[in-house]
Amino acid sequence: MNKSTIFLSLILIFTAVITVVAQPEISPERKLAIDSLALEKVKDLGKYISIIGNKDTPFSEANRVIDRALELFSDGSQMGVSSLNNKDIQYFGIREYFQRLMALNYDRVKIEWFNIEYISDLVRQPDGRYVGVITIYQRFTGESDDGMKYVDTTKKDITVYVERKQTQIQGRVIGFWDVLLGDIRVTETKPG
Amino acid sequence: MKRLTLVVLILQLICSVASAQEIGSYLGGEKFMYAETKQINQFFRRFNSEENLDGKRIYEGDPNYHKKNIRSNYIRMLFDNQNKEITENIKSDFISEVTDPNIPSFLDYYGGRWFAEVDTKFTYLGQSRTVVLFLELEKENLGIKWVINNVYFYPFTKLFYTDSTAITKFLHPMSHELDFMNLIKVFKEPNTVEYYFDEEFKPDFRTLFLYEIKKGDLIFETVEKVSFHFFQLNNWYFHLQEFNREGNNRGWLIANISKIPEDQKDMLLKYIYYEQ
Repeated sequence: MNKSTIFLSLILIFTAVITVVAQPEISPERKLAIDSLALEKVKDLGKYISIIGNKDTPFSEANRVIDRALELFSDGSQMGVSSLNNKDIQYFGIREYFQRLMALNYDRVKIEWFNIEYISDLVRQPDGRYVGVITIYQRFTGESDDGMKYVDTTKKDITVYVERKQTQIQGRVIGFWDVLLGDIRVTETKPG
Repeated sequence: MKRLTLVVLILQLICSVASAQEIGSYLGGEKFMYAETKQINQFFRRFNSEENLDGKRIYEGDPNYHKKNIRSNYIRMLFDNQNKEITENIKSDFISEVTDPNIPSFLDYYGGRWFAEVDTKFTYLGQSRTVVLFLELEKENLGIKWVINNVYFYPFTKLFYTDSTAITKFLHPMSHELDFMNLIKVFKEPNTVEYYFDEEFKPDFRTLFLYEIKKGDLIFETVEKVSFHFFQLNNWYFHLQEFNREGNNRGWLIANISKIPEDQKDMLLKYIYYEQ
């Protein structure tokens, strides 16, 4: 092995090390941008839930919206639901949760979102992706024609996965931050 | 005709927009929702004064970042006010120590010495039973993850060292001359075999737990309760629990707190791990 080969090898090793070290850190400014993106996804989810839960939504449209809503989630995501009466967590797949929402036996369903959200820090996982949690509150009202009314307020802690990805546009490699939703913990909460 | 079609289309569009606006609506933020310590993350941030009143993250350079008087106010809100055992003296003592301008103490998510206690429900041999899992954060690659580092399961405790006649349980020192033929007596009594082990032996519940799961005798059902133990602050220990109740003093709050010298923390740890 001549001197120039050794030099080249050293440069290659050095470059490789730089690549590992230079895993993208998230600056406060970047974090704000990612938070906005994640909140948009959460709001999209809110819209989808409202449409799916609305009794006026035709069956086929509700199923189409469920498919759209599922695109927001990473594979295998689940809803973990508990109530004031039963603190044990009940687990549902996201599709199953939406289907249950669609099948609720109320004549009128109203889903309202409180104008408050809390966004955690983003923490890096061993696989390099970042994870955070967005907390929101929702009020659900279900009414039947016979006068029966059910109201609850729930706290939803929504997992958010953030990943640096690359795409090619007209031959140029562009990096971007992708956000996917994950497991959601739903807790019935006592009103203030 | 074309105009009519256009008008109909515009009307349909207006109707669909109006209908979309009726689907779901937004409310204001209730006071309790702002006050509630909604995540453990928020507990850390409030404790350290790393967020503003709206819950937005603030960073070094912000005038309120780690600011003593803001921290004092925040920390005072982080106690369970319904627990009368947490006296005003304890609160004041704690707050003045952790906000001491010369050596302030902050909570560090990555700093270790805090862990989760999770009560879970498993089906064990056909019955629903509680298994307590203890989890801590462990670094891996450039990231971090929760790992199970201890397990408590009541039926396991009944498997070991429960015989009051233990003094007679040993292999006599000349057993080797008889090719250890007396081992037959040891294994005839499965309930006392552990007395024939060396004195350093300590049953590892994690291994037993894994074994039962892999055998299919323990099947996970659900999570029942979660709380956190903090040993991170010098000479203090506190227990964090979630309170889902009316009023503003709710969410993740300090349910118990003790001033405890560092050299006594191991004893407390053993107590929490059900080892004493």
